[in-house]
Amino acid sequence: MAGAPVATAPARSVEGKTSDRPAGSVQRRQRLRRALTGWAFSAPFTVLFLVFMAVPVVVSLVMSFTDLRSTDLRNPFAVNFVGLDNYTRLFSDDLFLRSSVNTLVFVVVGVPLTIVVALAAATALNSGLLRFRALFRVGFYLPVVTSIVAVAVVWRFLLDPEVGLVNGLLGVVGIDGPSWLFDTKLALPSLIVMATWRNFGFLMVIFLAGLQAIPGDLYEAATLDGASRWQQFRHVTLPMLRPTLLFGGVVTGIGYLQFFEEPFVMTQGGPLSSTLSVSYHIYNQFGFGNYGYAAAASYVLFVAIVALSVIQFRFLGERK
Amino acid sequence: MRRSRLATVAAAALALSVALTGCGRDSGGGQDDAKAVAEGKASGEITVWAMGTEGEKLGEFAKAFMTENPDAKVNVTPVPWDAAHQKIASAIAAKQTPDVSMIGTTWQGEFAKTGALDPTPPDLIKKEEFFPGAWDTTVVDGSSYGVPWYVETRGIFYRKDLATAVGFPEGPKTWDDLTAMATKMKANGVREGFHLQPGKTGSWQSVMPFAWSNGAEGVSADKVSFDSPEMTEALGYYQSFFKQGLSGTDLPEGALEPDFVSGKIGAFISGPWHIGLLQEKGGAAFADKWAIAQMPMKKSATSFIGGSNLAVFKDAKNRDAGWKFVQWLSKPDVQVKWYQEVKDLPSVQSAWDDSTLSGDPYLAVFGKQLEDAKAPPAIPTWEQMAASFDLEVEKLCKSDVDPAAVAKAIQEKASGIGTGS
Amino acid sequence: MTTMDRGVRGRDRVAKAVLYTILSISLLAVVGPFVWMALSSFKPEGEIRSVPPTWWPETFTLENFRDLFSRLDFPLFFFNSALVALAVTVGNLLFCSLVGYALAKLRYPGKRVLFLAVLGMLMVPGMVTFVPQFVLVSNMGLTNTYAGLILPFLVGPFGVFLMRQFLQSIPDDLIEAARVDGAGEFRIFWRVVLPLCRPALATLGILTFLASWNNFLWPLVVATTEDKYTLPVALALYSIGQNRTDFGLLLAGAVVVVLPVLIVFLLLQRHFMRGIATTGLK
Repeated sequence: MAGAPVATAPARSVEGKTSDRPAGSVQRRQRLRRALTGWAFSAPFTVLFLVFMAVPVVVSLVMSFTDLRSTDLRNPFAVNFVGLDNYTRLFSDDLFLRSSVNTLVFVVVGVPLTIVVALAAATALNSGLLRFRALFRVGFYLPVVTSIVAVAVVWRFLLDPEVGLVNGLLGVVGIDGPSWLFDTKLALPSLIVMATWRNFGFLMVIFLAGLQAIPGDLYEAATLDGASRWQQFRHVTLPMLRPTLLFGGVVTGIGYLQFFEEPFVMTQGGPLSSTLSVSYHIYNQFGFGNYGYAAAASYVLFVAIVALSVIQFRFLGERK
Repeated sequence: MRRSRLATVAAAALALSVALTGCGRDSGGGQDDAKAVAEGKASGEITVWAMGTEGEKLGEFAKAFMTENPDAKVNVTPVPWDAAHQKIASAIAAKQTPDVSMIGTTWQGEFAKTGALDPTPPDLIKKEEFFPGAWDTTVVDGSSYGVPWYVETRGIFYRKDLATAVGFPEGPKTWDDLTAMATKMKANGVREGFHLQPGKTGSWQSVMPFAWSNGAEGVSADKVSFDSPEMTEALGYYQSFFKQGLSGTDLPEGALEPDFVSGKIGAFISGPWHIGLLQEKGGAAFADKWAIAQMPMKKSATSFIGGSNLAVFKDAKNRDAGWKFVQWLSKPDVQVKWYQEVKDLPSVQSAWDDSTLSGDPYLAVFGKQLEDAKAPPAIPTWEQMAASFDLEVEKLCKSDVDPAAVAKAIQEKASGIGTGS
Repeated sequence: MTTMDRGVRGRDRVAKAVLYTILSISLLAVVGPFVWMALSSFKPEGEIRSVPPTWWPETFTLENFRDLFSRLDFPLFFFNSALVALAVTVGNLLFCSLVGYALAKLRYPGKRVLFLAVLGMLMVPGMVTFVPQFVLVSNMGLTNTYAGLILPFLVGPFGVFLMRQFLQSIPDDLIEAARVDGAGEFRIFWRVVLPLCRPALATLGILTFLASWNNFLWPLVVATTEDKYTLPVALALYSIGQNRTDFGLLLAGAVVVVLPVLIVFLLLQRHFMRGIATTGLK
């Protein structure tokens, strides 16, 4: 199995090891049984998946090659097939290009930041020496469950140029704070910090589950070998956590490439489109009724997500 | 193996695309003819979707209709404003529409063009009874596809005390008045003499009244003309408030009302809902400190008209009763009762003769303004055009850009989008 | 006790103090908005909208909650939300761990394609499939039914990916040992593998429940009469208007909506405790 790293499933199942295979018929029967078992486990998921997800995806993909608008919704088959027209049009759309750059910045800065913060929090909470662990665990998860409206109100207040807490603190050390959300250069960084704040609890929970699965005796062995705490983290925790880290990286990448809620509630994409994201642009296009065009933009975003994920699988994927 | 599978997929996609090419829209926009509605009382179940307060209160309110039409049953499903557009669009796509729905005026063009809306039967609903600006929002390609239910329009809220101090006790009457008033207020220490929306969603509702008042049209059902000298002048006027520091660009959400009450803002443009907000925010002591003026005069004193319409769907199971319910909601006395219930301003002109409305000094201003108020034409692309308009307005307010260049940019974007006809 | 030992312990104590300080400051920053949300639900509308905002209610009122419960058919919407969220969570836990196990530990033809399809689905922006999905569900006659609210979410690519990644880190030897003992594949899954998955199942459970509980657009569009609305839909109905938002109702609603999620989290979070997974592995 030397295919793309994406699918390098653990080729270490038990049966794989039997090298002296008996007669062909037994082998064939065994293979059939394996196939049956595998699909018995996969069937319930696969059926629901095909019906409720795969079909709509195919339909929407076809949609992206047409000039379907909301005014055609009642007669969707009466649209014109326009080939790649929607796709080529995207790359001369100022707002799409602008939003692509914004999204890229958001992802390149935001994803590593969130992962590092989440991993730091998870490691701290998982270290045996801590009391009140449950309190911190619940506390750090609160932003994930807090209503986005409340989050927006509080963050707008924090970042308010006149009465905000952030500028108040800056004022204490003699710095005249800027008007964060109204400044074309600072609005996007502000949203990155806000997104990190809002999402690290989610990743922390996943990392915690991963950390729990690392057998304690590995650390015991490392301690006996005289490894420092940093060395343990570097040589035991990180390698053992790789599947979970990969998962976290991919899921965060997918989420951040589609970032939407923060600009939606905080800046409406402004000032002067400096926080307009690709998802927000797509949302607007759907709202305007340009279904074919919006679908094409969605699939360009999809390709970007796939590309980012492939890179992450390359770096963090299972290596044999 | 993998290659052959790819080939199959490619072949299937190709086949599908060929099939699709074969279809294509029929270009002849066939005129819809309004069908008559059966006489007699309404009967059967009528399903109605309505948003916000209207959705919450309409079910109870419709009981009077059911008393008049004992065989009819009105079922109201309240729909949150947040995603009402998506819900109606999805329902149209799945042909699962209700009989009647409330529809935002700016969605009318889009939904009518899907062919999902039933043309208004002229024997039942009389056009002349409504404010002309409101009726126009229902007209798509020459036919009407709904009925104005309630309206709202914009006027100038100003601090009466501060305005009196600078010589405008009755508020600004003309464009020059408005500038003078704001400038003098600022000289007296008011932070923003006249607050205007610096771009962002919906700012066109503040800009277009100035353009219309200056004789610019902007967009009609089949023509885009944002680059006229009248438009440029109006944009320049709008920008002047920002250039002279009479309006700021970074007012946080929710700060408008408290700043108006505390005197940091001298005046702003808004609609009737601000009456209640200010009464609540300012309390009794503030009541005589503010007033509302009509839009200031240039060539005309035209404002924006908004609100919501009611439409009946072609896929309705109970079309005739649906129209009868809509017609009942458009009766002047019912419109007055509805105002008393939820404070929605009547779209029917004669309802304004009732003392409930004409007796209220704040409302009277809006009632007068409604006679000269207009909306953009009901074209399916308006929301998109408005969004790019708002973006250009943001540039106008936040930078030193030449208004003529802004007008040109709006024109380019808007003609790229087209009127969807 | 040697001097070196004491030195190490002293360093540990300093490290601990630093850790606690950092964690506590972060906790404040993280909990702040939540606390504001909870406190503000007891403020009158005017105070919530005041600039700058207040922390402690100047005027304490239960009006928002009273308003909420009198205008909303609360038990009905709560029941709808709970039913849908529980069904979706159970479905995801069961089906996603089944297929996750197959993808991580079994060998069968088509597995690669299936996993790629799952990953691909995970990466499709949700907005693009919305209308086709709704047309499909309504053609199946499922609009305004609980099935229409539940079925499309009963499995999800996220859950499969999570379970597969987690199951990969479970040593093969354990499964092999069970196979040698002659256990059937399902028995191995149910008796050996699932108990080891508790942290992952708890995580998936919390995340799925939260996502379903907060889902807004789908239930709004699928439910055509009010009696099938879920809590977030019903709340949006009364708090967000065309020209103004009723923050009091909105925040009271947010507090009420978040409570069940917090309870689920508190119930499940003990599964993150160190020990359960490791004792299982030994």
